[in-house]
Amino acid sequence: MIWSNFILVLLSSSLLWLLALILYKKEFLKRLFIVLGTVCIGAFIAFLWVKLERPPLRTLGETRLWYAFFLPAIGMITYMRWRYNWMLFYSLGLSLLFLVINYMHPENFSKTLMPALQSPWFVPHVVVYIFAYAFLAASSLVAVRGLYQHYYQKLDRKVMLMADNLVYLGFAFLSLGLLFGALWAKEAWGHYWTWDPKETWALITWLGYLIYIHRRHHMPNVSKSSLWILALAFVILLVCWFGVNYLPSAQFSVHTYSQAP
Amino acid sequence: MSIKKPIWQHPFGYAESFIISFGILSVGFILEFILPKTQSTLVFPLNLILGISFFVLLVVSHFLFRKTKIHSFLSGIPLTIALVSSLSFLVILMGILPQVSSHKTGLIQQLGLNQMTSSYPFLMINVLLLIVLAFVSLRKTFPFKLKNWGFVCSHWGLWIVIFAGGLGSGDLRRLKMDVYENKIELQSYDENKKLYEMPLAIKLKDFLIDEFNPKLAIVENETGKLYEAQKPSMIMIEKGLHCDLQSWKIQVEEFYVASGRAGDRYYQLADFGAAPAAKVQAISPQNDTLQGWISCGSFNRPHESLKLNDQFSLVMTVPEPKRFSSVVTFYTPDGKKQDATLEVNKPVTVNGWKIYQLSYDDKMGRYSNKSILEVVRDPWQPYVYLGIFMMMIGAVYMFWKGRETIRE
Repeated sequence: MIWSNFILVLLSSSLLWLLALILYKKEFLKRLFIVLGTVCIGAFIAFLWVKLERPPLRTLGETRLWYAFFLPAIGMITYMRWRYNWMLFYSLGLSLLFLVINYMHPENFSKTLMPALQSPWFVPHVVVYIFAYAFLAASSLVAVRGLYQHYYQKLDRKVMLMADNLVYLGFAFLSLGLLFGALWAKEAWGHYWTWDPKETWALITWLGYLIYIHRRHHMPNVSKSSLWILALAFVILLVCWFGVNYLPSAQFSVHTYSQAP
Repeated sequence: MSIKKPIWQHPFGYAESFIISFGILSVGFILEFILPKTQSTLVFPLNLILGISFFVLLVVSHFLFRKTKIHSFLSGIPLTIALVSSLSFLVILMGILPQVSSHKTGLIQQLGLNQMTSSYPFLMINVLLLIVLAFVSLRKTFPFKLKNWGFVCSHWGLWIVIFAGGLGSGDLRRLKMDVYENKIELQSYDENKKLYEMPLAIKLKDFLIDEFNPKLAIVENETGKLYEAQKPSMIMIEKGLHCDLQSWKIQVEEFYVASGRAGDRYYQLADFGAAPAAKVQAISPQNDTLQGWISCGSFNRPHESLKLNDQFSLVMTVPEPKRFSSVVTFYTPDGKKQDATLEVNKPVTVNGWKIYQLSYDDKMGRYSNKSILEVVRDPWQPYVYLGIFMMMIGAVYMFWKGRETIRE
């Protein structure tokens, strides 16, 4: 069985990353262990690719494997640029979660995947969104902290700077996710923008953060309104992420993959 | 904003911006309410002429008025925020209300809220956004400073996407073609079933479909509904599969992807319409053993289920498609022939038309001899893509630069 070696990957990656967490103050060792752990997953993907004689992109389990590979890779690049330790370990944790899900649900490996999703765009589109959501979720946490400080203490300037940085990174990923989605949609069903409810809500999210960015650029010293915009934008993001399926417009969406028996 | 300035005195700020945006929205909705609904869109060459004139007008007025107060207001952030907020408001309405044309005449229809993208308020806000975006981009482009390249890329990129996407929507053709095996088809149809003659003919040589194995499921006898007390409620069938489905232990003893019933059992068969079938053994929680054949049937064969008790039956689901493709030949008016295989996510471009595998006759499943193709012509697409790529560069710039270096 091809997948029986998977437990080895899961164990070695978790072990290496655990070492990285313990030694997180030793810069070189930390990076080495994280990269090695990521390489383990990459090697397993390569192994699958050879054994299956096709890119392992067909099933959900295989896609999760790619997330598990890309998350630490992007986390590392982001770390090298911005030095956010929490972001780095957050991405490692998320990656491990995907590996564990894969281990716990072996039956999902052969699960059906509709033909429209079988595209090379699938992985970048979703991975980039996962990152955008991670950054933006973090930025709204910072916003809540900023609002608390504003009303009960004195607002720390660093808080605003952190919120801004996270929004910039998240917004960059969100834009890329939207644009990748547009390019994919053209390849898959003939138009890059069809006002599908999920697309519509993704655009609203994008516009919400666009307002925040412009407001901050215009009034860098006024924080309260910006923080409220940021907190509100996250509510919209949550609607886009989870809520779309419950709206009256969702019946026409291509992004709801619930299958009728 | 500690110093209060009276409203409608320059420089205009947020108050004026939001009042103006609100006014535009109101005028738009009033227009939508009183004017008759027309489905007219701009088509070539009118859209091109109008687009070029609009752009030239923008550039000329930029250079004539760039030192005026009204220009700095029109390219300023307060108006940008007010307009983006107005657009968000419209898009939120669009995200809540289903966007389908209807013959009802309620307020939603009269205000065009069910067809937002072709309504006056949407159009007016977008035109104003284009003006603001053009002025601010022109200001950052002339004189050009190298440090502004990220800004220039993202803002012009967005401008091009809205401009080319909006103007080009009238020239976009999305039609469908039904092609049958070994027949040549020249006609396509739109969503109203109106027929069009195509500048290319398509012959379907073969339609191929690859299916996943069917799944086991338990349904309620009375309603026929899927029983989902525990997950997974459906398990894919494989030869020799042992599994627990709800509280039954199921074993697949024999499985044929294509078979037919003869006497008391199914045999492997390659006939037209041959359906999947499996011999299964089910052990109930009370340790009663049942045995029998199940089949999902096909368009010409009945399905068969195994009754587990008075309440439930074990069934086989209809297999889902894994991939489907059409082997076709294209004939163009210049006498050329081109062979290709169309697959979902793998369109082919012929003579300016992009051809997509869309669907097939799903009642016939894998025996379908009909393939449904989508044919798309979008002459403005390269320009939209240019905008998209510029925005991507802008996004990467944003990721790399972040916030700090811009401010401090």
